[in-house]
Amino acid sequence: MDYLTGIVTAAHGIGMTLYVTACAILIGIVIGLVMALFKMSHNIILKIISNVYIEVVRGTPLFVQILIFAYGIPYLVTQVSGGSVSFNWKPIVIVGVLACGLNSGAYLAEIIRSGIQAVNKGQEEASRSLGLSSGQTMRYVILPQAFRIILPAMANEFVTLIKETSILSYIGIVEITREGMLWAARDFKSFPAYIGVAIVYMCLTIPLSRLVAYMEKRMDPAAPKTKKRKPGI
Amino acid sequence: MIEIKNLVKSFGDNEVLKGITETIHDNEVVCVIGPSGSGKSTFLRCINLLEKPTSGEIYLDGKLIEEKTINETRARMGMVFQQFNLFPHKSVMDNLTLAPMKVKNMSKADAEKKAQELLEKVGLGDRGSSFPAELSGGQQQRVAIARALAMDPEIMLFDEPTSALDPEMVGEVLEVMKDLAAQGMTMVIVTHEMGFAREAADRVFFMDQGYVMEQGTPDEVFGNPQNERTKSFLSKVL
Repeated sequence: MDYLTGIVTAAHGIGMTLYVTACAILIGIVIGLVMALFKMSHNIILKIISNVYIEVVRGTPLFVQILIFAYGIPYLVTQVSGGSVSFNWKPIVIVGVLACGLNSGAYLAEIIRSGIQAVNKGQEEASRSLGLSSGQTMRYVILPQAFRIILPAMANEFVTLIKETSILSYIGIVEITREGMLWAARDFKSFPAYIGVAIVYMCLTIPLSRLVAYMEKRMDPAAPKTKKRKPGI
Repeated sequence: MIEIKNLVKSFGDNEVLKGITETIHDNEVVCVIGPSGSGKSTFLRCINLLEKPTSGEIYLDGKLIEEKTINETRARMGMVFQQFNLFPHKSVMDNLTLAPMKVKNMSKADAEKKAQELLEKVGLGDRGSSFPAELSGGQQQRVAIARALAMDPEIMLFDEPTSALDPEMVGEVLEVMKDLAAQGMTMVIVTHEMGFAREAADRVFFMDQGYVMEQGTPDEVFGNPQNERTKSFLSKVL
């Protein structure tokens, strides 16, 4: 019975976990795309920007990044303004979305870049030979194909992020883990509480992985979408 | 009219084209033949700047072909590749309409109407909704030709269009190309199909070691080659 309560309690946090994860992924995709294009550009300054960004984010723990965002930045703002502005993240969930988004942006940048580079060179040549600009080629020809290639990797990032948002519990965002922690603290039923939390995470991540596998199969460009016809002459 | 002046192309230390000066006239069909590695494809790809010449110039109707205006130039020159390079995520119809809609701002309806006409012309009028992966190699290459034609090009460049095809599909693609030649399209064709070159070309370039070693009408080049390299090449392939 305690275990059921544990699951139900943790399940209250699903909405927040998914909300933060989804917002963060959206931010991450935008940043990741921009950084991937920066990294592949011929402009040395853009290259440096993306390299520094990716190295810094990937070289430091997400937890530390969250601490810097949640507590470091308000302190900095107060200091810089000479105490005249007291800055607080309100609501605190903004920190979760921003920090996780910026974090996954760095990982997604590398994923997106690898996807773009995996698209056959002939595709770009064919598109450019038709008179499309490099921007149009990227948008209509390369990215749609790159997206299919990286879909599994991107979905993995999404699943990873669902789990990583658990550390947002530390800064007081009431997501799945935090719900469990609160109940454990209230009723001292630590084991049922955290088993419940674990089960709820699994209920999210396993179906998602399955869904991705299904989508991957369906979006395979080599797999016919219309009914297979006999090859004609 | 394409004027090529002193075209040189190197990849690192490897000089692939060593100074080519040729003129391709309007409505002319030029077939470029020669052994592998002779620079045929590089020569063709330099014309629409898929390869950037190391030195030398190429003029289209008297205007220098350069990076700045390359999109407009390319819109006037269709290209067909050995590996077809159809867009696998788009239907046949969408493959044909993408460039007219995005480059020429043609309406979807107009672009589709034109695409349908072209598909019928290459014998694939019923395949608009298919995806490239559902087509045979010969069909894919015919779609690729139709896709290039959808931009109403003045010139068509063919880079070994039948080399990746099963033997029984070569004929259908060459047939489409012959039709095109008969309609007066200016064409530059890199090919190993000597029979086709002999039949369809107005002029044949024989390339070897980065030079156009010999050129002339098919009868001259195939019937009475002057250059030793041409003779030995033709004796091996004919």
